[in-house]
Amino acid sequence: MIQMNSRLLVIDNSGAIVAQCIKVLKSAKWASLGDEIVVSIKSARTATDTTLANKVKKGDVRRALIVRTKKEIARPDGRFIKFDDNACVLLNSQGQPIGSRILGLVSRELREKNWIKVVSLAPKVI
Amino acid sequence: MRLEICSFSGSKIYPGHGRTFVRGDSRIFHFLNSKTESLFHQAKNPRKIAWTVVYRGLHRKGISEEVAKKRTRRAVKYNRAIVGVSWEAIQSRRSEKPEVRAAARTAAITKAKEAKKTVAAEKAKANKQNKPQVSKTQAKPHSRPVRR
Repeated sequence: MIQMNSRLLVIDNSGAIVAQCIKVLKSAKWASLGDEIVVSIKSARTATDTTLANKVKKGDVRRALIVRTKKEIARPDGRFIKFDDNACVLLNSQGQPIGSRILGLVSRELREKNWIKVVSLAPKVI
Repeated sequence: MRLEICSFSGSKIYPGHGRTFVRGDSRIFHFLNSKTESLFHQAKNPRKIAWTVVYRGLHRKGISEEVAKKRTRRAVKYNRAIVGVSWEAIQSRRSEKPEVRAAARTAAITKAKEAKKTVAAEKAKANKQNKPQVSKTQAKPHSRPVRR
């Protein structure tokens, strides 16, 4: 249930830590798992934190894909699943992930929505 | 479809029920209903809540009846003398070897046969003496079967 001004954790190695939703890219009030949004980077790792060069910095506007939500989602088998936090990965203009690694588990709904690249990078799909 | 076990109460979760929660450390918890989910998020200990499976197991609830039933069912086996035969006699008969038993049986059979023979012989002798004297002339009219 991500809408304008929702804050999300960024769980890839792009350098961003927290992102804020500034637009839901579908004709609905709020976005869910596997939906694309536009975010503003609220905090990013400083260059001294890591040897790798950060791909984004604070204040950048990027596209992002929602991979975990606190709001429960219905599965086709009748069960509901929910996560501990709201999380996203950053995407470039072609819809490919900016980071080369994903550092947390992602939802199975991404596979159904054909985010194959993100699913293959994720260490665990639930 | 698989039955899940509730992470808090320990009861079964049938399809179409319950909710799954994935914690930040990627541990998965299943909850039967909002009651168990709420108690879990309040960090309550299921060992201290009386209706959970864990509590009932710890406090031996619903076990005493089963134990009592088992005790009554057990059959007790012991040795004693029956009517006219003492226990020693029964044991000696039980520990007999099969050859001895077979020999005893054949001896008994031959003895019985001989006894039968002598009885039969005596009977035949008696019959011969006591046989009624029937004249041939009297017997004749009844010799042919009567047709009806």
